[in-house]
Amino acid sequence: MEALVKVFPANDFSLLAVILCLPLIGAFINGVFGKRLGREGVTLMALAAVGGSFLAAVVSFLVLRQAQAGSEQAARLTYVAWDWLSVSGRHDLGSIPIKVAFSLDALNATMCLVVTGVGFLIHLYSTKYMEKDPGYHRFFAYLNLFIFSMLVLILGDSLPILFVGWEGVGLCSYLLIGFWFTDEKNAQAGKKAFIVNRIGDFGLLVAMALFVYHVGALDWIGIEGGRSRLLEPVKLWPIGNVVPLSSALPESAAAWLNTPRYVTAASLVGLALFLGCAGKSAQIPLYVWLPDAMAGPTPVSALIHAATMVTAGVYLVCRLSSVFVLAPAVMFTIALVGALTALLAASIAFAQNDIKKVLAYSTVSQLGYMFLGVGVGAFSAGFFHVVTHAFFKACLFLGAGSVIYAMHKRIHDTDTSQDMRKMGGMKKYMPVTFATFVGAWVAIIGFPGTSGFFSKDEILLKALTSQIQSPLPGGKITQMTRAGEQTVLELWQWPSWGNQVLFAMGVVGAVMTAFYMSRLVFGIFWGDFKGWTIKRKWKAPAHHDHDDHDHPHHHHDPDEPLEGPAPVESPWQMWLPLAVLAALSLGGGFLNAHLLHLHPMDDWLGPVFATAAQNVTAAEGGLSLVLAFGIGAFALGLGAAYWVYRLQGGEPARAFVERMPGLHRWAQDKFYVDEAYDEAVVESAAALADTAAAADKYVVDGIVAKLTSGVVQLAGAGLRFVQTGKVHTYAAVMVVGTAAVGWFLIAPHAQARTVHQSAGQYGVVAAPGFGYQYRWDTDGDGQWDSEEFSSQMQQDVTLGFGENKTLRLQVKNAFGRTAERSITVSRPKLDPTRGPATVIQIEQQPDGTVRGVLPGQQPTGGVQ
Amino acid sequence: MLETYLPMLFIFVIALTIGAVMFFGGQLIGPKNPTPEKMMPFECGNDSQGTAGVRLNVKFYLTAILFVVFDIEVVFIYPWAALFKSLGWTGFATMLAFIAALLIALAYCWKKGALEWES
Amino acid sequence: MTFDVVYGLSPLLVVALGALLLMLAEAFGKPNPQGLAPTGEVSDAGAGRAGELGMGAAVVLFVGAALSLGVWLAGPDNLVGLELTRPYLIWDRFTVFVCFTLCLGGGLSCLLAGGYLTEHEIDRAEFFPLVLFSTVGAMALAAAGELLTLFVALETMSLGVYALVGLRRTPRSSEAALKYFLLGSFAAALMLFGAALLYGATGRTDLAGIGQAIAAIGQGEGPGAAQVLIALVLVVVGLAFKVSAVPFHMWTPDAYEGAPTPATSYMAVAVKTAAFAVMVRVLLIAFGDERLTSWASGWPPVLATLAVASMTVANLVAGRQSSVKRMLAYSSIAHAGYALVAVVATIRSPAAEGSILFYLLTYTVSTAGAFGALILCGSRGKEAVSYEDLAGIAKRHPAAAMAFSLFLLSLAGVPPTAGFFGKLYVFQAAIDAELYVLTVVGLLNSLVGAYYYLRVIVFMYMREPAPGATLAVPMRSGYVASALVIAAVLVIALGVLPNVTLEWAAIATVGRS
Repeated sequence: MEALVKVFPANDFSLLAVILCLPLIGAFINGVFGKRLGREGVTLMALAAVGGSFLAAVVSFLVLRQAQAGSEQAARLTYVAWDWLSVSGRHDLGSIPIKVAFSLDALNATMCLVVTGVGFLIHLYSTKYMEKDPGYHRFFAYLNLFIFSMLVLILGDSLPILFVGWEGVGLCSYLLIGFWFTDEKNAQAGKKAFIVNRIGDFGLLVAMALFVYHVGALDWIGIEGGRSRLLEPVKLWPIGNVVPLSSALPESAAAWLNTPRYVTAASLVGLALFLGCAGKSAQIPLYVWLPDAMAGPTPVSALIHAATMVTAGVYLVCRLSSVFVLAPAVMFTIALVGALTALLAASIAFAQNDIKKVLAYSTVSQLGYMFLGVGVGAFSAGFFHVVTHAFFKACLFLGAGSVIYAMHKRIHDTDTSQDMRKMGGMKKYMPVTFATFVGAWVAIIGFPGTSGFFSKDEILLKALTSQIQSPLPGGKITQMTRAGEQTVLELWQWPSWGNQVLFAMGVVGAVMTAFYMSRLVFGIFWGDFKGWTIKRKWKAPAHHDHDDHDHPHHHHDPDEPLEGPAPVESPWQMWLPLAVLAALSLGGGFLNAHLLHLHPMDDWLGPVFATAAQNVTAAEGGLSLVLAFGIGAFALGLGAAYWVYRLQGGEPARAFVERMPGLHRWAQDKFYVDEAYDEAVVESAAALADTAAAADKYVVDGIVAKLTSGVVQLAGAGLRFVQTGKVHTYAAVMVVGTAAVGWFLIAPHAQARTVHQSAGQYGVVAAPGFGYQYRWDTDGDGQWDSEEFSSQMQQDVTLGFGENKTLRLQVKNAFGRTAERSITVSRPKLDPTRGPATVIQIEQQPDGTVRGVLPGQQPTGGVQ
Repeated sequence: MLETYLPMLFIFVIALTIGAVMFFGGQLIGPKNPTPEKMMPFECGNDSQGTAGVRLNVKFYLTAILFVVFDIEVVFIYPWAALFKSLGWTGFATMLAFIAALLIALAYCWKKGALEWES
Repeated sequence: MTFDVVYGLSPLLVVALGALLLMLAEAFGKPNPQGLAPTGEVSDAGAGRAGELGMGAAVVLFVGAALSLGVWLAGPDNLVGLELTRPYLIWDRFTVFVCFTLCLGGGLSCLLAGGYLTEHEIDRAEFFPLVLFSTVGAMALAAAGELLTLFVALETMSLGVYALVGLRRTPRSSEAALKYFLLGSFAAALMLFGAALLYGATGRTDLAGIGQAIAAIGQGEGPGAAQVLIALVLVVVGLAFKVSAVPFHMWTPDAYEGAPTPATSYMAVAVKTAAFAVMVRVLLIAFGDERLTSWASGWPPVLATLAVASMTVANLVAGRQSSVKRMLAYSSIAHAGYALVAVVATIRSPAAEGSILFYLLTYTVSTAGAFGALILCGSRGKEAVSYEDLAGIAKRHPAAAMAFSLFLLSLAGVPPTAGFFGKLYVFQAAIDAELYVLTVVGLLNSLVGAYYYLRVIVFMYMREPAPGATLAVPMRSGYVASALVIAAVLVIALGVLPNVTLEWAAIATVGRS
């Protein structure tokens, strides 16, 4: 350990480069030489790259533990690859260097382990799952590239680097969703993911710009250090001083309209960041892409769309927790959106039959839980759920993949092979898959003692007890004006009912989760197999001897009863990752079992969230209540599912569907959100297009086109006239150009600008010119003050409030030619209601808390 | 200040005027009695042969330009020779380099056949 | 002392010596019958040896670039002996940086010519000595601190380039050369007249002295001030011609199109770079007086207008071209416009000079690369000229298409290529100098410009060639390929690691008082 610390010092921790570069090398080699390497070579390369990365991550983790052990402060290991560029920020904040730098602290070290570890298992699984795919090397190149991008995202030490990774994972996701791009639907899904994510990225870019402007830093340390500057009020409305045309309105309406509206910069930044997070982590309203993204190969769903990439949004909120807590309103929004997403997605999952779709909505729902957790300020609880979710959801997806792999032996149609109505009784045929799937299932539904139980209950507990404090005492930002102290902005207060509502939504979500997950498991593993008629010693017909995604339309006649062998267990490459993940799902909860007073994870992450924690208050107690509700929810959901699908054989569900076909159809069709989006976005675009077409026909074609074609022809003629290829024309143009330049420099230009020197003192300064002489008329009598020209370039003017004055200036240049201009200087009227923009001073106390301080004396001077 | 150039302007105007007067004056007052012989270009009493724009061999220009180049070098050598003593060895070396460069150019012209009239 | 001079001027000396030797090698070597076309007569001693001579010239120029780098690292200020060359040649960091860019651009063009002349059976190996002599002139021009040196250097550079344009001896090429020569002489005459007036007004020929004399001229009417102003007009026009700013750009499309492509590449990169260098030096040192840099009546508004005109006209016209080479010619005019923005910014932003140098470097590698890729895409009789010729070339020759795309993206200013940072720093300097309108116009123009660059990429990747059309067949040449590799590496390296180069450029200033 000592040796390790010596080789890799904390401020130049080059092991991070190793973690990053291995997958990149793997991607490069597989992408470029993959065809020549052969399958074994590609497998070896991909596994070695991610495995090596995982080992390096483990070593880094240990080094970090060592560093963390001795100190209260959050330990950080950094590695600066190179200086990238520098951006000029606001003048008072100086220029902002952007370095290609990476850092490791407790938060991303944990994330890094999850990404490389789960990533490795999924790589291993994929070697078998994708075995027969013709794009094998391409698949692994993308997969490795994804791991690289994800690592850039989580290890990046600043927002721009994170953004590079953020875009990188988006690209890989896009490539992998559309992996079987021959299929039109997949290509569509890829496109959808791409477009929705762009909306989120826009938010992230805006947030970056705001950080540059307000904080003057983009790296984590700089942002945390300068976060207090985010409490500056930003005037949102009106743009300018008054709303145009407001004077036409009645006075009270105009006054209301013209009242300045402020928010804190922190709220803006928080909202923009959350837009980015919602896009990447599939929250309302940007969740629509994730279920469609399941069109990609199943391991991709497990890796990208369940375990890692989609949690990037939660990671970002945790990473910038110190900024988010400055905006309680945004935090509450995050929690509420998370809870709503959890409920909505869970209710859609009730009615899905495609097992991957069920898992997809379940993922959206679980992501909602994570946001609920971080939204109430329970960052480590939310992040803990990221980790446990990575275990059990990856296991569920891979298990589903294993089942699909088995189904695929005889059912080649992708949709049908994933339909749980075609499955059943798999318990008998696929014991390992069954056992592991059950392990992950009990975790997600929150069976006491499993990882999901601990992580979900922790979130529910915090939802009930934890609140975000107002970042400023008194909760308002005031400013001094001549009319006295005025409140600019009252900071939003956490509502008293908020926690109860969030908690209730969380509990309902938990019941629903338990119900639909149990429905899924009962449907797949219990009952009778319904895929095909099982025949012993069945032999494949000759033309069915290959199982290939090149033939997605390899249908059977649906009327012909399908026959086939009993489904068999998947090979070890597939069930080994399942077993490991199942074990982690079951046992992982003890990393943070507050019930048993085991919380190594909280202790480990504590220093990272220390700054943010200052703004979070958590009430004591409530533990037993939460425990009761948590176990009750689990029992209710599971019991109901058992009663409906096992005891009654699904009869109540069918009856329910018959009684309320509309509701079921509604849920099955995902509440028509996609259609609504189509309606709202596509249709409005179409309407716009129609309008444009009409405008085009009558206005553009009729008037503009004729006009432009005329202009273009004229311009073309003009161009032809000059660009003739004849040298004398060229020379003539040059002469004209020279004459124009000469005319400009020889003609005199009388210009002046007004400078404000001090209250009421203005200076009018004439622009300098070579050989220029000036004379002035300062008293406005139409006579020059002196007939003689002199070199006096400046005149001083003193004005009272609301006064103005007109001066005349005449210049004479070296050629004796003159020009003149009159300049009006005016001083605005005294306006008692308007004071200087920001008077409150925001200071950061030595203990890190932020406090607004009113200046001791009355502000003076300054009119505008 | 432009007054300084006023005399120049006068000369310019006077020159133009004289030229114009002579040109147009001759046309105006001169008797006009054209015969075919009178309309022919004047060529030392002989009948003119060919067109006015005779094309000269390009070698002529080449030789002329080479002459100019090597002639101009003398312009540099004269002042150097006048200051030969005071410039010393540095000056000598500089001039050697200059002449070497010219020699290379000469060799190039020679090899390229620029000095051969026939071919 | 002597060592300082020799070491300091070594880039210039090496290239000059190389040019002489190459001239001899070209004239006295044996024609290489293998390099000739089967029907080709041995008309010239350099016949069939374009490849090896090109290699030689490129090596000389790259050595020149390396020496520039060495002089940079030694620091021209530390070489006290270099004071001797003042004020004729001012050998400061600014000059050395420009020399590096010039040698790089020249070397790349020579490598391109090594492949191009062979492929197209143009037995004119004079190309290489001409490029070298021209580069010597360009370096001296960048260094010139005195009017006569400046003029001699300008003509040394230009005469070589006039000959390069006419090298192909097709009617089109000769016409282009003649046009360029006539208009170039016209511009040179204007500039010479300007120089004479300056001498008349100030009694000095060195730029620093002129600057001081101008500062001493008082306000009011007088022959001195008027002469200086007229001289300024003429000098600005002469320089604007050399950088091909609108409306002094008319020769550019014809000359660029008529010249053999490597010569076009050389003109676009080296001539323009040297012209910008001398423009910055003359304007800031000789015309740096506060009254001449006045926003109301000095040269900044003139150059700003030229910049706006160059960017706008060139970008609009470039989009309407059907010949890729002509499009690139207009693109070079547009780039002159962007660089002019930075020249205007020098009046208020100390970072602007560095941004010009960095911009010229990125422009050099991207443009040389783009012309190189255009050369690579065609072979004898099957040249890539129009957009249609390039249709679907990505399928037939993905490497050529990819290289071309890289350079076009860099010209368009797409991150993370060199071109992006070149533009970024120019616009940053402009914002720093509070030239907001110019910045916005520049940004809008880069958007317009992206259109015609991307159009080439669209043709290469997304169009099928029309049935029966003659297809451009990419040539095979190690010279061209190596030039492209060098340019591509630099484009990416400057895009990913712009900082070091930028820092170097930032401390290279002309040292105005």
